[in-house]
Amino acid sequence: MFIEYTWLVPLIPMLCFLIVGLLGRKTPEKGGYIAIAGALLSFIISALIAYEYLTGDAYPEPVTSQIAWFAIGDFEINLGYYVDGLTCMMMLFSSFISTLIFIYSIGYMHAEGARKTRYYAEVSLFLTGMLGLIVSSNFLEMFIFWEVMGLCSYLLIGFWSFRHNDGDAASANAASAAKKAFLVTRMGDVCLMAGLFILLGEFHSLDYTELFDPANIANADSTMITLGMLLVFGGVIGKSAQFPLHDWLPDAMAGPTTVSSLIHAATMVKAGVYLVARGYPLFIQDPEVMLFVGIIGGVTAFFAATMALNNYNIKKVLAFSTVSQLGYMILALGAGGYLVALGMDMGGAEGTALIAAGTAGFTAGCFHMMNHAFFKALLFMCSGSVIHSVGTEDMRLMGGLGKHMKITSITMLLGSLSIAGFPLFSGFWSKDLVLDIALEAGDQTIWFTVLWLLAVITAFMTAFYMFRMWFMTFMGEEGANTQHCHGESPKTMTAPLVILSVFAVLSGFLIMFGLDGMVSFEVTDTAFIVGGGHAGGMVHYFEHLFTNPYTYLTIVLALLGIGIAYLMYAKKTVDPGRFNKHGESGLYKVLANRWYFPEFYNWVSWKFGYGVAKGVNYVDRQVIDGTVNGLSAAVVGGGDTISKMQTGNVHDYTAVILLGVSVLAALFVVIAMILGGM
Amino acid sequence: MIPLEYFLILGAILFAIGAYGVATKSNAIIVLMCIELMLNAANINFVAFGAYHPDIMGQVFVIMTITVAAAEVAVGIAILLNAYKMRKTTELDEDGLTSMRW
Repeated sequence: MFIEYTWLVPLIPMLCFLIVGLLGRKTPEKGGYIAIAGALLSFIISALIAYEYLTGDAYPEPVTSQIAWFAIGDFEINLGYYVDGLTCMMMLFSSFISTLIFIYSIGYMHAEGARKTRYYAEVSLFLTGMLGLIVSSNFLEMFIFWEVMGLCSYLLIGFWSFRHNDGDAASANAASAAKKAFLVTRMGDVCLMAGLFILLGEFHSLDYTELFDPANIANADSTMITLGMLLVFGGVIGKSAQFPLHDWLPDAMAGPTTVSSLIHAATMVKAGVYLVARGYPLFIQDPEVMLFVGIIGGVTAFFAATMALNNYNIKKVLAFSTVSQLGYMILALGAGGYLVALGMDMGGAEGTALIAAGTAGFTAGCFHMMNHAFFKALLFMCSGSVIHSVGTEDMRLMGGLGKHMKITSITMLLGSLSIAGFPLFSGFWSKDLVLDIALEAGDQTIWFTVLWLLAVITAFMTAFYMFRMWFMTFMGEEGANTQHCHGESPKTMTAPLVILSVFAVLSGFLIMFGLDGMVSFEVTDTAFIVGGGHAGGMVHYFEHLFTNPYTYLTIVLALLGIGIAYLMYAKKTVDPGRFNKHGESGLYKVLANRWYFPEFYNWVSWKFGYGVAKGVNYVDRQVIDGTVNGLSAAVVGGGDTISKMQTGNVHDYTAVILLGVSVLAALFVVIAMILGGM
Repeated sequence: MIPLEYFLILGAILFAIGAYGVATKSNAIIVLMCIELMLNAANINFVAFGAYHPDIMGQVFVIMTITVAAAEVAVGIAILLNAYKMRKTTELDEDGLTSMRW
């Protein structure tokens, strides 16, 4: 009875967007309470839908309903909703975390005055985009909401577009950062759109029910599916900030911290991972595609983690860690999908075993996505609390904040432990599942062994840089800005932190209470089923995790990372300057300059983009405009010239008429003479 | 009985005078009158042919033509009057009404 109202889930934030945008100025807190109420209502409805679906008879078959939207020839495009286990999980954590972020915004955005209306309207629209994307029943509908999020990220990253700190670099200037985010993700979106065109051409429909039907897939041209899914993955690379389109996300830190939290935890970058998970039945048609997906994910995880190692900006460290964690999710989906794809090619008992092993990758990716949403939202909101208090983002000016901000420091410690993969914290469970599946895929191809190695090193680096950040911020001597900080943040900010920290610590245990069944993936001859898998339960996972020697390897590495960070930044018995020649070593500079990716982007834009733009400009102005202008000039000039024949003088007209009549008369006479023989 | 050629020659002369007037005179009222001359030249031909070729249609058509000509003159004079009110002239040369072209 609630599932029929799934369309309300994105519609309510949409209405909030309209109400706040049009009337928000007159309401208390400039529309903040309306946005919170909308997000909360969406969460409640999502929870009711999830409960009804998961306990209903249809589970795990997806529940879907559509209405016809329009038709072009024999392509029918529908609007509707599609509810399955993945939808439920995404809906729940997106709306829940967004609600908390909106509550937190009341405190964080307190000083913004009239601009708050714009802020709350835009975040409501952002949430609309994410929830709409999640419940969409076909790829076109999804793509529309995908673009809505692209727009909102542009607007919100550039929220402080009037601030020009120093120069025009995207990292210093909100307007440039917004532009960069928009343009870089646009590159991915173009790929995604091309991919959808290919799928539409192959399947004559974009409905999930049609596309995920094994019979339809078997009828379609497999090369075209491969090409189409590679292009769709291009969209994921842009949206989820994967290598090599990852560089917009660190710059996006120019927006308010709440927006960063929203982008990194509840919306936007999660959309890309969701798209891979949603399109899994098509992705797994070709092992090579999944190998590519896995390589991109593993490389991103490693690259981004290296850049976080020596950054001094508290938000940028978190941004790089997000990119790195997204890499983990993509890696898990890629490795699992690779095994499934191989198994489907192989067939037989061996193939079935591979498929069974590979589907764990789907669960791992989705599970890590949810855990990451909790602890990354928490970490960002903690960093926001710190920034709110000390008024800077530079960690060198912080330090010793632990005494002044007890709640923030403790919740952030919990978040950091979680992301570092400290045993029994949420990040530990999902990260080890990811590493496990990568290692398992390594049995089939050496590529995944390499990626597993990168991922293990990344786990070490993650622990190190997260605790470097925590120690630099909360421990050690008091920095310049700590001495006149405002102390702990108001309750509207700390309450969401406390709630989220509970989830960040405990959400990992959900997998023992059936979450793995909810986001499992099953391949049968007649369907690809999300959800409804066997819920392994506590024993299964304990057994698997704690008998695996590699689990202990990552635990040791994580503890080692934390320990080194402690020695370097809290106890200061080891001088980090010894390893990087006090910031002079080549590697240090490469990392500080983000592997020169911003320069590379600029170089490509100037050499390639600008050149193409100049050529297009020339064609537009000279060839196209020239043709049009030339034609109109010819018509106008010709008309001018010919109109001079109309002298306006009655006598001239008379003369012409008389002449004509005379000529006609003479002609008649001549004809009559010839015919009459006169 | 007067031969038909006489009427036709009279009509032709009247038409030529009218045409000459329209083509050369610069006063708009004279031009209008010349047009009337040309119409009446045609009327003479109608009546003459109607009489020599026993058929009442010739005369019927003349009455029709006179009616139309009366209406046409009324409209023409009205336009000219308004033009005169604006320009204080009825001349058809460059300084007069011709400057209203385009």
